[in-house]
Amino acid sequence: MIEVRDVVKKFDGFAALDGASLSVPTGSVYGLVGPNGAGKSTIIRHLTGIYRQDSGTVAIGGESVWENAALKSRIAAIPDDWYYFNQASVRDMMRFYKGFYPNFSMERYEKLKEVFHIDEKKTIRRLSKGMQKQVAFWLALSCMPDYLVLDEPVDGLDPVMRRQVWSLMMGDVSERGTTVLVSSHNLRELEDVCDHVGIMDHGKVLLERSLAQLQDNMVKLQVVFQDGVTEVPAELPVLHASRVGRIHTLIMRMNAEEATAKLSTYNPMLVDAVPLTLEEIFIYELGGADYAVKNIVL
Amino acid sequence: MQSRTSFFNITLFRKNLTRFWPLWGGASFLGSLFPLAILLQLMRGHRWFAEPLEATQAYYNVVVYGLPIISLIYAILCAMLVWSYLYNSRSVGLMHTLPVTRRGVFVTNFLSGMAMMTIPYAVTGALCVLISIACGGFEPVGLLVTVLSVLGESFFYFATATFVAFMVGNVFALPALYFLLHFLAPLLDWLLSMFAGNFIFGLNRWYSGAVEFLSPTVYLEQQVYADCTYEEVRAFTEMTHTESYVSKLTSVTLENAWLIAVYALVGAVLLALAYALYTRRRSESAGDVVAVGWMKPFFRFGLAALAALLGGIALYELFWSSFQDGRYYDVLPMVVCMLVAGAIGYYAASMLLAKSLKVFRGSWKGLVVVAAGCVALCCVLHFDLLGVSRRVPEAGQVEQVEFYAADNTYTLYPGEDAELLEQVRAVHKAIVEDQSYILGYQSDWRHTEQNNVTETYVRFIYTLNNGRKVERRYSIPLTQERLAQADTYDSLLDTLVNSRTMKAKRLHAGDSRYTVDSGNLWLEMRGDGYDLNSRECAALLDAVARDAASGAWGDYNWFDQNNNSAYAMSLELRFARLEQDHWNYDWISINVRPGMDNTIACLKDLGLVTDKDLVIREDMEKTNDWNTSKTETYEEKMAQETASVGIIGGADGPTTVVVAGVTG
Repeated sequence: MIEVRDVVKKFDGFAALDGASLSVPTGSVYGLVGPNGAGKSTIIRHLTGIYRQDSGTVAIGGESVWENAALKSRIAAIPDDWYYFNQASVRDMMRFYKGFYPNFSMERYEKLKEVFHIDEKKTIRRLSKGMQKQVAFWLALSCMPDYLVLDEPVDGLDPVMRRQVWSLMMGDVSERGTTVLVSSHNLRELEDVCDHVGIMDHGKVLLERSLAQLQDNMVKLQVVFQDGVTEVPAELPVLHASRVGRIHTLIMRMNAEEATAKLSTYNPMLVDAVPLTLEEIFIYELGGADYAVKNIVL
Repeated sequence: MQSRTSFFNITLFRKNLTRFWPLWGGASFLGSLFPLAILLQLMRGHRWFAEPLEATQAYYNVVVYGLPIISLIYAILCAMLVWSYLYNSRSVGLMHTLPVTRRGVFVTNFLSGMAMMTIPYAVTGALCVLISIACGGFEPVGLLVTVLSVLGESFFYFATATFVAFMVGNVFALPALYFLLHFLAPLLDWLLSMFAGNFIFGLNRWYSGAVEFLSPTVYLEQQVYADCTYEEVRAFTEMTHTESYVSKLTSVTLENAWLIAVYALVGAVLLALAYALYTRRRSESAGDVVAVGWMKPFFRFGLAALAALLGGIALYELFWSSFQDGRYYDVLPMVVCMLVAGAIGYYAASMLLAKSLKVFRGSWKGLVVVAAGCVALCCVLHFDLLGVSRRVPEAGQVEQVEFYAADNTYTLYPGEDAELLEQVRAVHKAIVEDQSYILGYQSDWRHTEQNNVTETYVRFIYTLNNGRKVERRYSIPLTQERLAQADTYDSLLDTLVNSRTMKAKRLHAGDSRYTVDSGNLWLEMRGDGYDLNSRECAALLDAVARDAASGAWGDYNWFDQNNNSAYAMSLELRFARLEQDHWNYDWISINVRPGMDNTIACLKDLGLVTDKDLVIREDMEKTNDWNTSKTETYEEKMAQETASVGIIGGADGPTTVVVAGVTG
C-alpha cells in the first residue's frame, strides 16, 4: 500500500504540496488527476525518493521511501522526462538498470524485445520521443517492480502502443499484484484502466474514491419540464445546468435514484439518468475549486 | 548484481569510468608523452637518470612545479563530469530514483573521480619508473614520497572540487567558484592592501602574502621544494680522457612535504562537509547558481563586496585618478565609484540567484546594506578610525625591526641595538606626527622644483613578539631648513643614518652572523661590469671599513641621491646570513667618492679599475651632454631650450608630469 499523509513541500516559500494525503491499495491501479500545477509530479517525486517532504509521511508498504534502497529496488518509475545517458544504447541502459535492480529479469527483457521492436544497440538519443518512452517502459517492466509509479506515461505513444503498454501493465497487476500509481491528463484512458482515482488541486488531494464510488456520487440527468417551466427550480441542488431546446441537462451531487426522486416533485415530462465520464466528474468536481470551464468569448 | 555494501555501487562506478573515459584516457595519453619524450632523449644519449638520486630529483621536480597546477585544473574537470548529474533535474531524478542511498552515490562517485584523477598519474608514473629502472636510476623512497604526494594532492584538489560541487547547482558555476575560492585569499590580500594603502598614511599598498596558505596552489608552489645537496668529486671524462671536478648529487629531500599531508587532511574535512551538504541538498536546486539556501546571502553580498572593491578601484582609476589631490584616494569620488560597482555586483548576484532579470523591485534594502558598507569602509579608512596610521609599536613589543633608508636596509634587535631601535621609533613617530605636513607637501607639486627639497623613501618593518608584522612605508620630503631644526623627522633621520653605529651596521661590521659572499661592480665609463667573488668582496669590505673609520665614507648626502659627486661606478656587496636553515641575503651599495683612498687602492690592486674609470658622475654626464649636443640640429636645440619635461614619481606614489620652462 502506498500511503501519503499530510505532506507539505515548499519551493522558495510556495507550497507545491500543502497537506496532501492519498492512499493506494496494494494491487490497484490509481489514477492521479488534476490541473496543471496541482502537485501531481511533486507527489510522484516524493514517492520515488527524489524529493524529501518538509513535513508529513511518504511510505510504501509501511516503510518510509526516503533513502530506503531496499524499498526502492521494488519500485520502478517512469517520469514525464525520462533521463538516459547521452551516448547510451538500450542495451547500455539495460546493463545499468540490471546492476541496480536485483529483480531485473533478462527473460522479461528478451520477451519485451518482441513487443517493442527497437534496435537495442541504437543510441537512445537517436530514437523518436515515442520510442524513447517505449524504452522506458521496456526497462521499467524488466525490473519486475512491485510498485510502478508513472508520470504522464503514455504521452507520445501511438494508440496501438498505448493499448499494448496498458495491456502489459494490466497483466502485471493481475498476475503479480503490482500496484500502479499513474498521473495523467488523459482521463478517457484512465477511466478504462483505473480502479481508484484521486483528484488534486493546489497541492491537496481534494477527493479520492474508487471509480465506481465516484460515478455513483454524481449524476447527469436529462430533464424536460412541464409547459411553462423554462428555468430549473432554484431549490434544486444543481452543480451545473445547461439547456438545448426544452431539454435541460443537470449535474447533481447525489445518486440517480435520489436525484430522480427530487425532480419528481416538479412532474417533469422526461427524466433520464446518464452516467458521467471521468472527464465530466473531473470538470464538475473542480468547478467548486474555481476551476470551472469559463464561457469566454474573445 | 547490486553491490552488497550500501556505500559503494560497482555498476555506478563502472558506468562513470566508461562514460567519462575520454577525459582520463586523454589525460593518460598526454601524460604518457612525457616519459616517451624522456625515452627518445635517452636513445639520443641524453643523460637523465644515470643515478637513482637523479631519478628522485626528477620526480620531486614534477611534484614541486607541475603537480599542484595540473591537479588544480584536472580535479575540476573530473568533478564537473562526476557531479554533473546534480545540475540537471532529469539526471538528478534518475540518480535519486535508483535503489541506492545518497551515501552510496556520494562514495561511489567520489571514488570514481579519484580513480579518474589517479589513472593518468599512475600511467605516466609507471612508464617513468620503467624507464628509470632500465637506466639504473630506481630509488624506492623517492618513488614512495612521490606517490604519496600525488595521492595527497589529488585527494585534496578533488575533495575541494567536490565540496564546491555541492555548494552550486549549475555546472558553469562550479569551476567559477572553485577557482575563485582557490585564489580568493591572495586576491583579497592584494585588493585590500592596495585599497587600504591608498587611504591610510604609510600603510603598505602591496600584496602582503599573509594569507597565502589559504591558496593551496600558490602556497604549495612556494613552500614545497626539492632540497638537493651536491659534492665536488674528481671524475674521469671519457670524451677528453682527463680527470676533473664534477658536482655529484649526494642527497635529495622533498622539503615541507608535510604541507601536502596537512592539505589532504583539510580535504578530508571538506569531503565530510560535502557529504553533509549532500544529505541536506534539495534535488530541486538543480540549475540554481547556489544550491545551499543559507549560502545565498553570502554569495549576493560577497559578490557585491568584491565588485565594489575591484570595480570601485577600476572606476576610480579610470575617471578620477588624474584629478586626485596628493597620493591618497579622495574619499567622495571613491565612495561614488564603489557604490556604482557595488550596485552592479549586487544586482548581478541577485539576477544569477533568481535566474531572472527582474530583481529590482523590493531589493532596495539589500542595496542600502551594500551602500552603507561602502560608505562605512571608505570613512573608516579615510578618517583612520582604527588609528592604523598613528601606530608605532612600543619597544617592548618588538622582536626585530627592519629599517630601510638611504638605499640600505638595517636589521635591528632590541637587546643589542636598543638605542638605535629607539632612534628608529623616534623617526617613525616624527613622520606620523608630521602627517599633515607631508601630505600637504605631496599634494603641491611646485615644491619639486625647489632646489633645497628632496624626497626620500623609508620603510619600517617591525616583527612583534607575537610573530605579527607591522609594516609602514613613506615617501617623505626633506628640506635644508628642517634638517637644521632639532626634532624634525628630517634631522632625526639624518642623525640616525649618518651616525657612527649606523654606518657600522650598514657594513655589518663585527657581526659574525653575516658573511660577505659576492658582489658586483659596474663601471659606467666602460659600460661594463664584473661579478665579484667572496675574496674580492672581503678585501673591498675591509677597505671600505677603513675609509669609514677615517670619515671618508658613510655620510649620506640626502640632496645628492643620484650620487652625482661620486665616481661613475656602482659597487654592491652581498651579505649572507643563515636563519632557521634558510639563507637570507642583504645587499649594500657603496658609493665610491674621491677621498676613499683605501677603497680606490683596493679596486686598483684587484685590477678592477684604472685611473680612467675614476671620473665623477656629474662630469661624465656633462661630457655626454656636450657630445650629444654637438649632433643636435638647431631646431632640436631650440625645442629643448623652450621647455623641459620631467616625470616625478616614487615607488609607491602616483606619477606627476612636470613641464617647466627653461631660461637659457
